Amino acid sequence: MTPIAGGAALNLAFGFGILTILTIFFYTRNGDQRLYLTGQRLALGVSFFIFLATFILAYQLIISNFDIDYVARYTSLETPVVYKISALWAGQSGSLLFWLFILSIYATVVILQNQRKHHGLMPWVIITLVIVQMFFLVLTNYVTNPFKATEADFIVANGNGLNPLLQNVTMAIHPPTLYLGFVGFTVPFSFGISALVNRDTSPLWIQSIRRWTLVAWLFLSMGIILGGWWAYRELGWGGYWAWDPVENASFMPWLTATAFVHSIIIQEKKDMLRVWNMVLIILTFTLCIFGTFLTRSGVMSSVHSFTASSLGPIFLAFVFFILIASFGLMYTRINDLRSTRRMESFTSRESGFLFNNMVFVVMCFSVFWGTLFPVISEAVRGTKITVGPPFFNQINIPIGLILLGLTGVGPLLAWRRTGKKNLIRNFTFPILTGLSSAIVLLIIGYRDYVVISFSLGAFVTATITTEFIRGIRARNKKFKESPFTALKMMVSKNRSRYGGYVVHLGIVFMFIGFTGHAFDKEKEFSLKEGETEHVAGYEFELIQLSESERPNHYAWISDLRVTKQNGEFVTNLHPEKRVYFHRNPDVNRRQPHSELDIYSTLNKDIYSIFSAVDTENGVAFIKIMVNPLVRWVWIGGFILVFGTLIALWPRRDS
Amino acid sequence: MNSNKKFLLMIIGVIVVSIFWIGWVSTNPADEKAMATFVSVEKLMKDNMSQRTKLGGLVKDGSIVVSKTSYLDCTFILKEGNTELAVKYDRTRPDLFKDGAEVIVTGQYLNGIFYADELQTKCASRYEGDLRDENSYNLTDVES
Repeated sequence: MTPIAGGAALNLAFGFGILTILTIFFYTRNGDQRLYLTGQRLALGVSFFIFLATFILAYQLIISNFDIDYVARYTSLETPVVYKISALWAGQSGSLLFWLFILSIYATVVILQNQRKHHGLMPWVIITLVIVQMFFLVLTNYVTNPFKATEADFIVANGNGLNPLLQNVTMAIHPPTLYLGFVGFTVPFSFGISALVNRDTSPLWIQSIRRWTLVAWLFLSMGIILGGWWAYRELGWGGYWAWDPVENASFMPWLTATAFVHSIIIQEKKDMLRVWNMVLIILTFTLCIFGTFLTRSGVMSSVHSFTASSLGPIFLAFVFFILIASFGLMYTRINDLRSTRRMESFTSRESGFLFNNMVFVVMCFSVFWGTLFPVISEAVRGTKITVGPPFFNQINIPIGLILLGLTGVGPLLAWRRTGKKNLIRNFTFPILTGLSSAIVLLIIGYRDYVVISFSLGAFVTATITTEFIRGIRARNKKFKESPFTALKMMVSKNRSRYGGYVVHLGIVFMFIGFTGHAFDKEKEFSLKEGETEHVAGYEFELIQLSESERPNHYAWISDLRVTKQNGEFVTNLHPEKRVYFHRNPDVNRRQPHSELDIYSTLNKDIYSIFSAVDTENGVAFIKIMVNPLVRWVWIGGFILVFGTLIALWPRRDS
Repeated sequence: MNSNKKFLLMIIGVIVVSIFWIGWVSTNPADEKAMATFVSVEKLMKDNMSQRTKLGGLVKDGSIVVSKTSYLDCTFILKEGNTELAVKYDRTRPDLFKDGAEVIVTGQYLNGIFYADELQTKCASRYEGDLRDENSYNLTDVES
């Protein structure tokens, strides 16, 4: 009974969607307020039925109703409840429904929040939001329905179970976070489209979406970082970023969104770059959909892709529809978008922002190019050439370093024009800091990108520090406040600015972590109990090889004692070799898994993988990696989140 | 020159430099592992291709031979359709590597043997495969 209710809810949502669009569209023609109110309620109804469908599916997953194909495929009786719920986004149709669910949360908040505000913009905002909902409703209703009945001529006693790789807390958080980001950009996009339709190109739409954009950006950033963290801790290849097509799919909208977050400041303050901002938000939203397309279509082989499905062409059609409709609309409104203001000088903050924007877009394009290189090369030359991480690194390291440098330069430039005297005054200390650290690094023996990256990091940190100190000093002089009060007051008076600086500091930390990658060391070897192996200045002794049977897997555990070359004890590592579903009579269904163990310090991570076990001879095959500075990436991530929260925190007076 | 033109020039400059840079890296990658051509096993053997290539196929049943001296060294037969090719691989094998697994290998072809330095497995069938009824799945085995 309930599964039918789920399908019915999706059907009703679809019907309500059509009604919403029609009602509000007629309202925009004849202005009958009653139509608008009806439309609003219908739109809330669409979201309501989507909530209902999602809760029904979640409930069916929890009670293990294997009559539903989705439940049987992604959970089993043994699956812990948390992962039964997370199975909601583990598979294709469920994840599409989950996407809808998040979009509906956003849509509901937007509608309720703006019941009495933005009357000019809201009708088309609602229409745009519902059109996006409709697209996903078509998919979940007609293409891949999560409530599809199980096709089996026997009673399904137990489901397939969730992939053990996905049975991990991060994996339960990473997809929803990423989705909150991806889907979140639908809101600013809708406001943009509405501004275009209404020919209302004043900074109004920008003001109303600033916070939304930051929220979406925050979630997207967190989603990406969590994904890297999960890959690092679970997948066992020792890295957190592989330039996998799906990673790129989340990185591309992040790049354009970051550009957008910066350039809306200029439109807010100077009413410039109207066209550019429109282009950026359209691109960001399109890239979010495109990202879902890459994940779901199976065009690219990747750890993330589901088996080939019929979704590809539909998604691609939707991507083209968005592009053509949005840019077509923009083209007809181009005269309204012309700004009266002009850039005045290269040494102005506007120009700094513009330059930073262009570099972000260039980086996005280069990632796009690399991701689609196999497709492009096949179309042009007939051979499918795949590109790997070295390609992306080669292209993007210089671009990334330019961005890092701009992070330092931008805040030091004044609006409109920076005078020579100011230039010298602002830049002397940071540049000296950067240069002196470069010299020290060169003397120590570092070369190339490492020197550039670290010294740029020092430069940026110096600019951020000066900005804070200058602000505190000014308040200290003017209001006689203590440094701490001054800091508090200063930040609360201009949250977005100082929050932004904190985010920049987080980025510096992350770059330091990325740079550590240049010194990674790895070695694979085999050990018997009592034997020792050396890697990068450490000794690894296999103390004991034990085994144990646990509820859902069997594990071999190696007890490794790590010491420095001089005998100083460092840590004990216990990487495991596991076999999941080990009781399954069908050998092919048992799944081996390497559970790694990491010893992590600020300086370096010692990363151990138990790749295989030879039970007859008692030999463990171990892979050790020594990865310097990885922790800085995660710390940088925390700082980034903290900074964004500062920028997002509501002002007391509003 | 007014400031508008200057900015236009700057924008064009950035675009030109970027296109040049991306194009340059695409044609002259610094690392030989940056790119690999995806080909069929048949074409690889017929054309005796010596550049870095990527192949896809199945691991032939019973063909995996692990070296007696070093557990990491292994050879197996890659099957694509009816074409078979011997592959040598000497790194940590992925967990899902076994007879019948669908794999993608990257490396170089030399004198009839493919020397792979990357091996990826696909696990498509495992979680979207057939469902189990009571007979093929012993419920008493299930704990918690």
